[in-house]
Amino acid sequence: MTPPLLVATDLRKDYPMDAGTVHALRGVSLRIDPGEYVAIAGPSGCGKSTLLQLIGGIDTPSGGTVELLGTRLDLLSDRELTRLRLTRLGFVFQRFHLLPVLTARENVELPMAEADVPARERRTRADELLAYVGLAARGGHRPTQLSGGEMQRVAIARALANRPALLLADEPTGELDAATGRDILDLFRRLNDDGGTLVVVTHDERLAAQAGRVVHMLDGAVCD
Amino acid sequence: MRSLGLGVRSLIRRRLRTALSILGIAVAAALLLDMVLLSGGIEKSFAELVLARGFQIRVTPKGTLPFDTEATIPGAAGVLAGIRADPDVETAGAVLGTPLFGRIPDSLVTLFGYGIEPEAQGVYEVTAGRDLGPADSAGVLLSPAAARLLDARIGDTVTLVGRLDPQALASRPGRRLVARGLVRWVYDARGQASVGTILPVMQRLAGQRGDDRVSVFVVKATSDSGVAGVAARLRERLPRLEVNSVADLVVHFRKRLVYFRQLSYILGSMSLVVTVLLVSTILTIAVGERLGEIATVRAIGVSRATVVKQVLAEGSALTLVGAALGMVLGLVTARYLDAILTSFPGLPAAFSFFVPRTGALLTAAAVLLATGAVAGAYPAWLAARAPVAATLRSEAT
Repeated sequence: MTPPLLVATDLRKDYPMDAGTVHALRGVSLRIDPGEYVAIAGPSGCGKSTLLQLIGGIDTPSGGTVELLGTRLDLLSDRELTRLRLTRLGFVFQRFHLLPVLTARENVELPMAEADVPARERRTRADELLAYVGLAARGGHRPTQLSGGEMQRVAIARALANRPALLLADEPTGELDAATGRDILDLFRRLNDDGGTLVVVTHDERLAAQAGRVVHMLDGAVCD
Repeated sequence: MRSLGLGVRSLIRRRLRTALSILGIAVAAALLLDMVLLSGGIEKSFAELVLARGFQIRVTPKGTLPFDTEATIPGAAGVLAGIRADPDVETAGAVLGTPLFGRIPDSLVTLFGYGIEPEAQGVYEVTAGRDLGPADSAGVLLSPAAARLLDARIGDTVTLVGRLDPQALASRPGRRLVARGLVRWVYDARGQASVGTILPVMQRLAGQRGDDRVSVFVVKATSDSGVAGVAARLRERLPRLEVNSVADLVVHFRKRLVYFRQLSYILGSMSLVVTVLLVSTILTIAVGERLGEIATVRAIGVSRATVVKQVLAEGSALTLVGAALGMVLGLVTARYLDAILTSFPGLPAAFSFFVPRTGALLTAAAVLLATGAVAGAYPAWLAARAPVAATLRSEAT
């Protein structure tokens, strides 16, 4: 039996507020196997983005554990966790978050530069990735010169730069029109077909339906 | 695409703000440079001025500095012989400085007169014509201003008149002398009309010949290392006179102009504070605007160290460009300010307040770069501590 890529156990996340503690996650457990395409679906505010941040090591849970490739994230130092995000995980955000001062190619190269990949190698890989997402001719363009769909494609190429074991996407089509959103989902489908493991957060049930498995959430808990 | 490159591009992204910041830093840097030039420049210029002709020691009346007062030393020949007898003295000469008059067709003009020994003098350089001979009692040397005032050219005869007799309210009889050359008197103020004759002639004109009086003795030691020894022996031998080496004179001078140094320290410090505040404010604003970007790059695995380096690189780039511009601006303003300050009456024309020195430039540049790094520390800390998850959540809503 193939060992799981990610195991989240009894994850809880509380936010202390003036009016009382908000329980964003109430004991969520999740297992992701290599090669899976999982959608986490649910209405706004149900805790799906919080779950994504916890399993991505961006935020720390109030309780429970996350184990990625056999490594407990809560036992890592900040430096080790940063390194793990750089080399083992890829992130795609709703608002793309490309660096505006860099070209598309340079944005894709950024994580590789941080990982000390030699310049020639990262340029070659950046060009390959831009070609993979259909932007071979747009490498020299700045984000302001790209459409929303193109920016998200560059963001996906950036997320794939260091060959991550798991790609996490938070509402990747939230800022796009329906047609462009479908193109992005097609790209995710292709990524998964090529062996990639994906977890996509979305509030759109139709988009979630394209994933191999859908995890429904409501009020901070998995409701399947 | 590393930290400095990213920092520079981020600065270029906000062109107007960056340009205004650089201008602000440049002004502060110019002020700092000017203050650094001022703090050490006066002393350096003074030392160069005193050493202009290579005489390292001055002997003056007790409690005075050269040409500080009208006090004089009697028995000059005897004192000079004693000085020259020191084995470590290469040469020595006597100078008398005195006010006197020049006669023009219908009146008298005020001049300053030097009585000198042409074979051992430390107060002038011949710029046209020729020097006086040691016994040339009929010749006179003129500053360009004196030549203009007396309407005299080389070879012309001029009439010099000694002090006015306060009893008779009339001048002493004049003495006709031939202009041998034009000279630059080292200690003259800009535009000062000065003339020079051999010492006995000037002593007669000044009424100081009777007891052979002079204002100052200039002494050149055989080597720089022997100066302190010669000065000590002269102090012992001439207890009623003031003996100062160039180093001693610089100390005296420093005491008199201590307020210039204090002023330069205060203004220099203020300029540094302004630079720190300016760079820090700009970077803090920039970090605040880019929190989303910072949270994103941290989320995708860029380390805190890289983020800190980028902010510090931005601060350094701002400071570097501002400092470079400030150096040019500082040198230009130093020349302008120097022209204003050296036009004060009574200051030697060769004297400078702002003396460009490689050491001063390097010091100012190093201090500014360190300032840029310090100024970037707080915004860099803010960037490093940016809450990644919370920022991404707020960016998504």
